Amino acid sequence: MKQISFITLLFFVVSCTNEKNKTGNISSNFSFASSTVNIHTFKNEFGIEGYYTGYFEASQYDEKKDVMYTNKITISIDSLSETVCYGHSIVAGNMRPFKGTYAKSDDNIFKVNAKEPGDDKYDGAFTFEINANAKKIKGNWKSNDQNLAVTEREYELELRTFVYNPDLELPEYLTYEGLYGTYKETDTSSIAESLTDDIFKYNASKVLLKTKDVENMYQADLEVLRNSIYARHGYSFKNRKMRFLFDHAVEWYMPVSINITKSLTPIEKQNIELLKRYEQHAVKYYDSFGR
Amino acid sequence: MKTTTHKITLLNTLLLFTYFGFVILMMGIVLQYIPAGTDTAFLGIKQDYINIQWYLPAFYIHVFTAILALPAGFTQFSKYIQKYFKPFHRINGRIYVFSILVLGAPSGFIIGLYANGGLSSQLAFCILAVLWWWFTLQAYTNARKKNFVAHKIWMYRSFALTLSAITLRAWKWTLIEIFHPRPMDVYMIVAWLGWGLNLVIAEIIIYKKIKK
Repeated sequence: MKQISFITLLFFVVSCTNEKNKTGNISSNFSFASSTVNIHTFKNEFGIEGYYTGYFEASQYDEKKDVMYTNKITISIDSLSETVCYGHSIVAGNMRPFKGTYAKSDDNIFKVNAKEPGDDKYDGAFTFEINANAKKIKGNWKSNDQNLAVTEREYELELRTFVYNPDLELPEYLTYEGLYGTYKETDTSSIAESLTDDIFKYNASKVLLKTKDVENMYQADLEVLRNSIYARHGYSFKNRKMRFLFDHAVEWYMPVSINITKSLTPIEKQNIELLKRYEQHAVKYYDSFGR
Repeated sequence: MKTTTHKITLLNTLLLFTYFGFVILMMGIVLQYIPAGTDTAFLGIKQDYINIQWYLPAFYIHVFTAILALPAGFTQFSKYIQKYFKPFHRINGRIYVFSILVLGAPSGFIIGLYANGGLSSQLAFCILAVLWWWFTLQAYTNARKKNFVAHKIWMYRSFALTLSAITLRAWKWTLIEIFHPRPMDVYMIVAWLGWGLNLVIAEIIIYKKIKK
């Protein structure tokens, strides 16, 4: 009976969303409504449920293509039944559910073989071991599509709890980071766009910013200030420049969500609006003749 | 017949073409405010002021009428037109004077009160508006009194300030390309540089052409 309703549901969803939902995250054949899931609440029944965060590193890739070598990933072990492990991953602005079988060994290691739904271009299969004692995950991921820039990735992740904390500050060495995509390796004469100390002046999650606070700031600083709000909420960045920065240079940052609009505080919402306004103005008019 | 005074030199032609290019750019700036909104272009960073009663009307009057002063640059300095097409010179001159005295300068003064960059730029833009109005008025009254030498002198000054619409933006662009300054720093600089230097050049021209 369950099977039948499941198939009908699948058919229904597929026939409805065939056209538009190519990159969406609704996967009917998984007991997982990822588009509405924000921060997951875990029931700790098997001792391994939770968020595991770390680097998702390319091990098989086509150099000629646009390769993003390392992204920060969170693998969430959502729940387990006696034979099946349910979870989802959040990486590069993409939240995908997975489901697979597992086997538990005597030394408290869970070996998981899981698959993503397969209806997304970047879906694939996860093979990993969860070490319940060390609270770590180690494994690999293989893409379904062999024509992708990266077809295989490896990772070692650590169990980490996500808590929204407005007090988190950007690390001091952030200003030394060149912003991704702002310089080309072939063009040695150009200097990477860099950040200034302005990004430490205000915590945009705590202080309500005023016009005079932001009007003299460079676009890059404004952008980082705004995105630091998203980062505190565990937003997984699609935007490469921001992803590269927060993934690599902000230790506390962990991607857990792809939609955080509902969790923003009133101060953050107002700051985002103000910062965005000045960013857009800077992009359009900073180095132009007129406005 | 001597034609030296009507001679079109290469330099003049070049200047006219450059000016034409800038006037086109200025028209592009004006056109982006159609349809008029409360959030368009420059207004995007003036959200603290758009609810002040006089701000938006003054802003739009300035955007749409101050540009009427620019075409004068093509015709009014031509000795040929001054000599052979007097009515044209007068009509065009009246458009110029009216657009500044009634519309462009007063509206410029009001928006100058709320200029970005604090007291320094507010002073710069308000002084600019007052001088622009005063110079233009002097030029007009002297023309009416047929004091054409004085008319000419005051018109050099008036037009120098009219040109600041272009030079302010050109300076901003140049300084940013070279020094990559902060947005409000450069704005405070060009608020003064945009018209101050023009006025100095105008005085030099006046000195060399007329007073010597």
